Amino acid sequence: MVGKDLDRSVAEGNDIVIDICDLRKSYRLGDIEVPILHGIDLCVKKGEFVAIMGPSGSGKSTLMNMIGCLDRPTSGKVVLMGKDTLAISDNELAELRGFEIGFVFQSFNLIPRLSAYENVLLPTYSNSRKGHNSPQRAKDLLKLVGLDDRMDHRPTELSGGQRQRVAIARSLINEPSLILADEPTGNLDSKTSEEILGIFSELHRNGCTIVMITHDPEMEKYVDRVVHIKDGYIKNN
Amino acid sequence: MLSLKHSIRIALGSIGSAKMRSALTTLGIIIGIAAVIANVSLGASFSQYFTEEIGSVGNNFIIIQSKTSNLLHDNELELVKSTPGITGVSPVSQQVAEVKYLSTTRQISVQGVNEDYEEVANIRMESGSFLTDKDKYVAVLGHDVAYEKFGRTISEKNTVQMTFVKANGETVTQNFKVKGIIASPETSFVQSGIESDVRIFIPISTMNEIMGEDYYWGFFAAAENMESISDVTDEVDSRLARNLGVPARDIDNEDAKPYSLLNQEEILEQVDQMSAALSSLLTAVALISLIVGSIGIMNIMLVTVTERTSEIGIMKSLGYKNKEVLTMFIVESMVVGLIGGIFGTALGVLGAYAVVSAMGMPHVFPLNMIFIGVFVSIIVGLVAGVYPANKAAKMNPVDALRHE
Ligand SMILES: Nc1ncnc2c1ncn2[C@@H]1O[C@H](COP(=O)(O)OP(=O)(O)O)[C@@H](O)[C@H]1O
Ligand SMILES: [Mg+2]
Repeated sequence: MVGKDLDRSVAEGNDIVIDICDLRKSYRLGDIEVPILHGIDLCVKKGEFVAIMGPSGSGKSTLMNMIGCLDRPTSGKVVLMGKDTLAISDNELAELRGFEIGFVFQSFNLIPRLSAYENVLLPTYSNSRKGHNSPQRAKDLLKLVGLDDRMDHRPTELSGGQRQRVAIARSLINEPSLILADEPTGNLDSKTSEEILGIFSELHRNGCTIVMITHDPEMEKYVDRVVHIKDGYIKNN
Repeated sequence: MLSLKHSIRIALGSIGSAKMRSALTTLGIIIGIAAVIANVSLGASFSQYFTEEIGSVGNNFIIIQSKTSNLLHDNELELVKSTPGITGVSPVSQQVAEVKYLSTTRQISVQGVNEDYEEVANIRMESGSFLTDKDKYVAVLGHDVAYEKFGRTISEKNTVQMTFVKANGETVTQNFKVKGIIASPETSFVQSGIESDVRIFIPISTMNEIMGEDYYWGFFAAAENMESISDVTDEVDSRLARNLGVPARDIDNEDAKPYSLLNQEEILEQVDQMSAALSSLLTAVALISLIVGSIGIMNIMLVTVTERTSEIGIMKSLGYKNKEVLTMFIVESMVVGLIGGIFGTALGVLGAYAVVSAMGMPHVFPLNMIFIGVFVSIIVGLVAGVYPANKAAKMNPVDALRHE
């Protein structure tokens, strides 16, 4: 039933989920501007599964943070679901994150005090879609990722793979248009990684738009497209 | 939008995850609130206690005392008596006499008064009756005199022998028949010189006759009610001043007048002033401890915010707005304050109750103190939380997420 919800995004009119144009980002270190991204152009269509690959320190996470509205670009354009993210307020960015983007991080980023179920439900305290029965949805999503018997466990009582499943369930709670995963298998052994990638692949089959940073060349068989980044440039597009 | 219910849930989770630290933090508030509540309610109890004590001395009394001998005579007595608003007045003189009952002799303070004294000084009889103006050689005994002083009980209709020493050194001995015994007052804290327990009362006319004097040491008068007591006192004052030739300009100069005036209201005011001053001093000290407590909360909230930096990043990545992060931490700080306030109020109430009970004073607990105590503690939490919460709210999500 969760999969059916997700089909919705494919059916809708606008096909472009991410439209990035000449995106530049530099950090200030003391007096020096250190450029990290040197003019990125990227377009992701609805329902696409895109892998971003590149050496460590090449700016993949920085790019991901721009797409996820966690940070603002130095210059350039980031348009998400037709919305120019440079033109909207911090509050609107937060709402965009809450409703339209689901994050999955390498380090899981669960709240240790809360149970798996509460972690999945946490985003809905701030933003919840009208007509959603969020508590029921949280349970369904935990079932979907195979944790129906671990709902009341805290993150410390779960294995790495199980934690990442909780994080995936959490990212889906508000039925986002886009899932951003930053090295979601980076902390997992290869067998567990395989299982997690299987979940993403399944989501993709159900119509989810996914952008995933990964080091795993194995991923190429799951995804529609691989974008290679090196030193802040996209090598192929 | 983050609801209060969820903010409180998150706050309780966070507070519960560091129980010892939270307990120590709230301790500051507990002590501060308890001290404030205890001080204020003790102040109220003291105040009521003194008011009751002073009330037991007499009904709306006005005391006129002469500073020199041979000043107040029958003339002045009539003057006071005829002042509008005065319901009764008794002259008062006092002599220490050698009192003998059977074979035992004691030095006792003997008070000369008239029949109005019973009403004016709030005298209640245990047995027999009080003096009337027709009495001559009769005496009314204080409770201690009748039961303790002579090692045996003196009853109504017994006779005691009193020996007075006149100004010229002559002694006069006279037998007095006991007419009544005064009931022991319930309260006996106020030393006003009118303590009836250890005294003997005889008619003032008899005393003056024995002593060969025609003046009084003072008057003990009663006003109709508390509302008029101050006006009546002023009127008595101006009548006496005119009669005794005090110049008009000296009427407000207590040192220039040969007599002094004091009424119940003034004593109550003095007591109230004293207890208010004491209360506000103690409350100021207590408030300082509250400030210290609030700094404690702020300090711990800053630590919490730093510790939970990555959590703040996570919340922001999940779509929490800056304002919601702010709310979350302020609510947490207020909950810490509230917990401290609840325990502090309870401790303050119990503490004041214990002290008041131990001292045998009336329990006066201003109920609104509970609400004020809890309210203040929440406000303290709020104030303490603003800065740390603001710090959390302003964090850049990416930096917060990168924080280890
Ligand atoms: N907040 C920051 N301040 C300064 N430098 C940063 C910041 N975030 C990232 N960088 C730098 O930007 C570069 C790219 O980082 P990142 O995007 O995390 O790389 P990766 O491709 O490994 O995810 C790195 O050299 C990193 O040190
Ligand atoms: Mg990275």
